Amino acid sequence: MAKQTQQGAAVLQGTLDMLILRTLLYGPAHGHQIGKHIQRTTNDFLQMQHGSLYPALHRLERRGWVVSKWETAPDRNREFKYYRLTEKGRKQLLVEESQWKQMAEAVARVMWPAAEES
Amino acid sequence: MRWWQIRKRDADLERELRSDLELEEEEQRERGLSPEHARDAARRAFGNPTLIKEQTREAWGWTTLERSLQDLHYALRQLRRSPGFALAAILTLALGIGASTAIFSVADAVLLRPLPYPDPQRIMRVWEQAPDGHRMNLAQPNFEDFRAQNHSFVSLAEYGYGFESVTGGGEPVRVTVAAVSSDFFKSLGVEPFLGRAFAADEMRPHGAPAILVSYGYWQQNLGSAKDLSEFHLAISGTDYSVVGVMPDGFDFPSGTSAWIPSELDPDTSSRTAHNWRGIGRIRDGMTIAQARADLGTIAGRLKTQYGKEVDLDNASVVPLADAMVGDVRTALLVLFGAVGLLLLIACANVAGLLIARTSARAKELAVRAALGAGRARLARQFLAESFVLSLAAGVVGVLFAGLAIRMFPAILPADLPRQQGIAMNLPVLLFALAVTAAVALSLGLFTTWRAGGADLRDALNAGAHHHSGSGAVQRLRGVLVAGEIAVTLVVLVSAGLLGRSFMRLVSTSPGFRSGHLITMQFSLPPDMSAPDSGAGQSQPAAIARQASLMDDLIARLRALPAAENAGLVGALPVAGGDNLADGDFLILNGIKPPANFDDWDVIAHNPLHVGHALYCVASRGYFGTLEVPLIRGRFFGDQDNLNSINVALISETLARQRWPNQDPIGQIIDFGNMDGILKPLTIVGIVGDIRARGLDLPPAGVIYVDYRQRGMNANSTPTILMRTTAPEDEIVPAARAIFHNIAPDAPVTFSTFAAEMGGWLAERRFLLLLVAAFAVAALALVSVGLYGVIAFFVARRTQEIGIRMAIGAQRGDVLRLVLGEGARLAAFGVAIGIVASLAITRLLSSLLFGIGTTDPFTYAAVAVLLSLIALAASYIPARRAMRVDPVTALRYE
Repeated sequence: MAKQTQQGAAVLQGTLDMLILRTLLYGPAHGHQIGKHIQRTTNDFLQMQHGSLYPALHRLERRGWVVSKWETAPDRNREFKYYRLTEKGRKQLLVEESQWKQMAEAVARVMWPAAEES
Repeated sequence: MRWWQIRKRDADLERELRSDLELEEEEQRERGLSPEHARDAARRAFGNPTLIKEQTREAWGWTTLERSLQDLHYALRQLRRSPGFALAAILTLALGIGASTAIFSVADAVLLRPLPYPDPQRIMRVWEQAPDGHRMNLAQPNFEDFRAQNHSFVSLAEYGYGFESVTGGGEPVRVTVAAVSSDFFKSLGVEPFLGRAFAADEMRPHGAPAILVSYGYWQQNLGSAKDLSEFHLAISGTDYSVVGVMPDGFDFPSGTSAWIPSELDPDTSSRTAHNWRGIGRIRDGMTIAQARADLGTIAGRLKTQYGKEVDLDNASVVPLADAMVGDVRTALLVLFGAVGLLLLIACANVAGLLIARTSARAKELAVRAALGAGRARLARQFLAESFVLSLAAGVVGVLFAGLAIRMFPAILPADLPRQQGIAMNLPVLLFALAVTAAVALSLGLFTTWRAGGADLRDALNAGAHHHSGSGAVQRLRGVLVAGEIAVTLVVLVSAGLLGRSFMRLVSTSPGFRSGHLITMQFSLPPDMSAPDSGAGQSQPAAIARQASLMDDLIARLRALPAAENAGLVGALPVAGGDNLADGDFLILNGIKPPANFDDWDVIAHNPLHVGHALYCVASRGYFGTLEVPLIRGRFFGDQDNLNSINVALISETLARQRWPNQDPIGQIIDFGNMDGILKPLTIVGIVGDIRARGLDLPPAGVIYVDYRQRGMNANSTPTILMRTTAPEDEIVPAARAIFHNIAPDAPVTFSTFAAEMGGWLAERRFLLLLVAAFAVAALALVSVGLYGVIAFFVARRTQEIGIRMAIGAQRGDVLRLVLGEGARLAAFGVAIGIVASLAITRLLSSLLFGIGTTDPFTYAAVAVLLSLIALAASYIPARRAMRVDPVTALRYE
């Protein structure tokens, strides 16, 4: 069953993983920050669903691409669960980035063949 | 991931979500919203935290355990909600599981468990085999050749056993004593637990008489004494020193209390006197086929060498375990089959219930599916539900089986071998577990398949109606019930065939009036040894002593006021018929009677001078007591005494078989091979047939001799039969007093002929009883199942019935509609069942008597019975249907 959901949203999910990893390149962040960052950066084009954000974070953690730690936020006097990119995560980001590029180029070639020729 | 880590992880997730949600809320507040609005906005932005949690957990990947626990929890909740269903399903399955477990416990102890000896698979029973393929016990010289010439046995031994009167160490007792040859205990791999085995000079002719006793005998009669040197036991006038005690649980041959060396009493040199049972241990790595071929070669050689002096031409070697169970195997397999069918019916019934429930829950399931519960998830829940149901049923079933096992000693036939091993032990529990698992899996898969087949939209639409059963569900339940009816019919036909056989057997006349007969089986007092036992007395003197004792006994017993008649016989006919010996006799007719057994053998080479019959010692009163008619000639009379010519009576069958066109009366025969007395016999009368060897066998030819002339031979089990209308407990004390007075050293067992027959019939009765019980259970299950289907049918069509009645249908029409549905299913099931029975009951053929496996009466009766029960089961819902009020029904929506 879990498999089914993953397959159904494979493309989106893969993208989300990449976006999260890219966001964490700036430094450790907690879930709320990550979500807000992606939303803000895309000018709210990508509405962050918490229902997919947290599962994605936990999945990345389980795969060892990020690690988490409860830390006090500098501006708030409270602990948040901070996610930090691991070395493995960094490599994964490169892989996903290049895959995404290839994908985007491939889609572009199909969609706008004239532009390609010119 | 361990469960406590799961808990920790859950808490962690909870905290993470809460902290982020609070942050969102704070940010909203910082934007200037009021606290309440801020919370609402944050929740809106965040979404449903429960859902997020659920989804995140999915990302962790469910551990099997977690998922199963959740499914189980859910299943338990579902079952608690419908206790009626749960109880019905659990009890039904428990019946099936319990019954099959109980039967397995018998099969395990009797058929499957290895014998309690070292390397039991190497222990073999050995027989001589005749050219027609039938097995014979071993003759002494043949056994010696087998033992000396074989290459495949580590040890080969012979043994024989019988009731003996044993004195010493308390009251005289009548117990089974086995005579065993030197390698007997080595073949079994058993040694005495106290004392020692026989020494070499005890295992030779005229050696020092020594005896080994069983653990039970040692406890009961020797007071569990550690020092055996004082104990001596007397058997037939010989004094034996007790040298050892066999270990507790050693019981071979079954029921034996004492063992003596067979070599003490040298046997005849006849190669056709099949007096000994053979047992041996084959060499390690040797196969049964090799052992058989080895002995077969020796047998072939004996045939070539001795020609007509032997009647074997081959040998038979069978593992002891197989030889011991013999015909019990078929009966147990039949029981196992019947109980398997019962389990099948139980499962089908519960499957029917589950379908009904699934369709009642169709709306719930559809909603869950629509909300995104995957098929696999639903399937897992069905599996969990079946699992919980089956497990509960398994537990209850094991309790049922435990009860049954406690009751077994009362109902198991006494001669069922190895029954003391029947217990609720690990293999039996494992079997119950395996059956439970199989039931759980098949039910789970079945319901899953059903749920998978249901169309979501159909279910949601149907859910709008009050009754949601679709036509497909009704059809499937119908098929299930028809299948149940078919299987029930098979069980019923089996029970019917066995029952009819049993009735026929019981009502078969043994050839005499068998009511009101008291039996007194006794052993000759030790000083009154049989004429052929070679105890040193002259034959006539021994016979005379015996006869005077018996005359005295019979006269006193006859004098009892309640006694109508009494007579003596060498073995109780029918019930104890196996104790009657049979053999070849000579027809002399002018030939000079044989002077010795070599002469005897010479005459026996001419088939014209040989006949075959059972040998039975009897008194004049025997025929009078049993009311066996005299066909021609005369009975024994007072003129027949030791000094007059020896006379014989023959049975009608023998007269017809051996002297088809002649008058047997006046013929002179010799049956001296039976009692060692070569004096010829003159046939003086022909008496009516009796089924001496058992009710299930046709009457055999019998030659009766007079006890006053020939005496009781060593193999006989002297029995006095008394005809009386007085109750047994009135006669027995008086008769016991007479025995005690006249023959204090002769142990005697009182019974009635009916009780002895009961013992003889016990195995058949047990089989019949159990199969009948299974049939009744199957019938109960199938009627409940059918009732369920028809009730469902009525409920589903309440509206239709209402409409029909509104437009003028009579109650009779409604009755016909509903009963018609029941009849349709019954007819379908009965038809399949008859075809299946015709194929399956063939397995029963060896257990039947007097009828074939296709006995039309049984089939017809069973089909009618089953149809009537089906109609009765349909009638209850039909009555409800007839009472349908059209107005209510139409509003039913």
